Amino acid sequence: MRYKRYEKMPEKVDKHILKNGMVLLGEPMESVESVAFGFMLPAGAARLPEGCCGASNIIADWIFRGAGSKNSRQLSDALDGLGLHRVSFVGGSHITIGAALEASNLTQSLELYADIILEPSLKEDQFELARQLAIDSVHALDDEPRQKVMLKLREQFYPPPLGRSTAGDIDELKVLTAGQTGQIVKSKFNLSQTIFTVAGKYDFNAVCRQMESLFPGSKTDAQQSAVFVQGKAGKYTHIDNEGAQVHIGLMTETVKPMDDDYYNARVAVSVLSGGMGARLFTEVREKRGLCYAIRARYHGLKEAAGIMCYAGTTPDKAQETLDVVIGEFERLGEGISEEEIDRAKVGLKSALILQSESSSSRAGAIGSDYYMLGRVRSLDEIKNKIEQITVDTILGFLRNNKFKEFTIVTIGPKQVTVK
Amino acid sequence: MEFKKKTLGNGLDLIGEVNRAAKSAAVGFFIKTGSRDETKQINGVSHFLEHMLFKGTEKLSAIEVNEAFDRTGAEFNAGTSWENTVYYAAVLPEYLEQVTKLWIELMRPALREEDFNLEKNVIKEEIAMYRDTPNFEVMDKCQSLYFEDHPCGNSVLGSVESVEGLTAEQMREYFTRRYAPNNIVFACAGNFDWDKICSVVESPCSQWQSQRAERKLGEAPGGKKKKRIEKANLVREHICLMSAGPSAQDEAKFAALLLGVIVGDSVGSRFYWELVDKALAEAAVTHCCPMDGVGVFYNNICCSPENVSAVLGIVEDIFQSLCESGIKEEELNKARNKVLSRLVLENELPMGRLSALGSNWIYLKQYRTIEDDIGAIKAVTVDDVNSLIKQLNLGESTQFSIGPAQSS
Repeated sequence: MRYKRYEKMPEKVDKHILKNGMVLLGEPMESVESVAFGFMLPAGAARLPEGCCGASNIIADWIFRGAGSKNSRQLSDALDGLGLHRVSFVGGSHITIGAALEASNLTQSLELYADIILEPSLKEDQFELARQLAIDSVHALDDEPRQKVMLKLREQFYPPPLGRSTAGDIDELKVLTAGQTGQIVKSKFNLSQTIFTVAGKYDFNAVCRQMESLFPGSKTDAQQSAVFVQGKAGKYTHIDNEGAQVHIGLMTETVKPMDDDYYNARVAVSVLSGGMGARLFTEVREKRGLCYAIRARYHGLKEAAGIMCYAGTTPDKAQETLDVVIGEFERLGEGISEEEIDRAKVGLKSALILQSESSSSRAGAIGSDYYMLGRVRSLDEIKNKIEQITVDTILGFLRNNKFKEFTIVTIGPKQVTVK
Repeated sequence: MEFKKKTLGNGLDLIGEVNRAAKSAAVGFFIKTGSRDETKQINGVSHFLEHMLFKGTEKLSAIEVNEAFDRTGAEFNAGTSWENTVYYAAVLPEYLEQVTKLWIELMRPALREEDFNLEKNVIKEEIAMYRDTPNFEVMDKCQSLYFEDHPCGNSVLGSVESVEGLTAEQMREYFTRRYAPNNIVFACAGNFDWDKICSVVESPCSQWQSQRAERKLGEAPGGKKKKRIEKANLVREHICLMSAGPSAQDEAKFAALLLGVIVGDSVGSRFYWELVDKALAEAAVTHCCPMDGVGVFYNNICCSPENVSAVLGIVEDIFQSLCESGIKEEELNKARNKVLSRLVLENELPMGRLSALGSNWIYLKQYRTIEDDIGAIKAVTVDDVNSLIKQLNLGESTQFSIGPAQSS
């Protein structure tokens, strides 16, 4: 069956740059009563100074422990009083803090977030608690091998410091001080490199006016807080754990989000693991019953990108699972049917529209677009790019970008042999 | 929003909520069956059967089913709980008919022996995966301890042994009894044409034979009891405390939902300030779970083994202070605002509406608008919550823990 035309998708993206350089982006959505907003602060794990791995995680907690004239409890009560559904996320490049809420409470929420960003109390006693929680959450990962394997995989795949653990390193967390961490907040919460996004029901003019008064000041001549990439890490890492399964993480290099071949890569990953009819699910689970959880996805940073795959299986099946997975990666370039490409494309396009109904997803997507590409892609643009992909373009792409090396991490009672 | 309803001659209820402003639609079959409808001998069959529905029909192979779903670009899945099995898809309006037809076909699966045997491996892998997920395992085991021989104590996944012992014949027999039209609700939400969707559903689904599909209710034993298991590879203590709560049919469930937020929301709750803010536990959350004729509160805590007795002491104090002094007005206001904004956010997506639509019909045979739920949450008073606390006795909880070997 052929792909049908979708209704026209929203094109409008609001944009304004504050005097201090902060970029404000907005995507209005009809027929929602909610709004979602996020501040992308350039203080992610990869931007930290050496020896401070985990500081971003502490900061994301510490800044909420009192700000402006409010102590920790008063601040939390004020946020809860507005019914905010809070979101905090520590990534490689940014700490993103924000919320989804009923649209009428946006103004008051932004006032509170301005205090959190500009005037966090950063009390020493609160630092100790935030640090202890960060240490505990790293320990807790030992009990969550499915999560840990993917964090470790990023660490092994990306050249340092890109893959640096967003959770943190116990030894470095233990010696971090409030002074050092406070200094990181000061230097990294750089407004001229901060991206603010809003999606849903809002009045952009009112938002701009309010933001201009909440975040005054002129653009600082701050150094571009770029990430300096070092050499590349190892190929196979095994972590022994007497659990029930071997958790396998595998990653291989591909093109970055701004590359011309980006959409070829996305559709190729979809052929591998877009839906239940995709190759990995079919070969690993449906035909062989090796796994319950098996999936691959595109993972892109500004500096590097990869295709990331997870499979969890009992020890006796681990080797066969890994061999079948790698076999499927290698087989991809040998041929893809029209029907497979059609399914992959419909899946990608539908996911795009379904996500466009959620204010939180849109607020996140426009921010990451702007950071990666320096502009926000309209849904129509993405849809058209996906539409242009054909069997020939993907096969051409795969010929020029062969999967050469696989970085592999396993956690479990048994190692695998990597050829 | 416009509500629609129709009942077929064989008892199948079709319900819908049309929202022309939505960009997508969501469709689902809600089967009133889960692990509480199993005997010990066939424990795990509901969940296994949910997997087997994707293995195809007399006409379609498993691989053809998967490809057919992918052609619609649907975000689809299924889930089995103690009492419901739900199959759903969110899809662009132009693919709704196609994906609905597919679900209808799948509701009469072939249950082939060779597919059954192959899928057994996948089920055993899923059981193994959850054994490596202690915060799930501790809830599952706590539920069994709390409910003892009450059927709600049956694990959803079953055990490796119970799944190993299952036969395709037992599954077919269970399917015939439980997937009867009078035990199923078909629901649709979002941007769709009701008459058109009815014309797709009516003719094939009218062929389904109704059956006697009953469920044993009965009191949950509950009570104060304690169990701990050790696993050498763990480093944290995972604790689940379960106590009685209102059922899905009980109006008090709205007060209970707010009480759960006051006690154990992930931020700003009593657990948060006493345990997480003070870095005694990295997670301490409460969930209120109203079920068919019974209801429970779960409290899930994760902390270091050294902090266990301090943490449990504080939890006891929190429960005691709630019993003695009740909640405060400002606590209720905060909880209410949080719940209301979550409600608005969830209901913006057709998928969120589908799930509310289906579960209200399954439990209450009632259509409730978002405004009905907002009204019910707004109407809860401090006295309502306090009298619920008195009635429930939160401290009377069943405790299950999983943690590393104790050094003593």
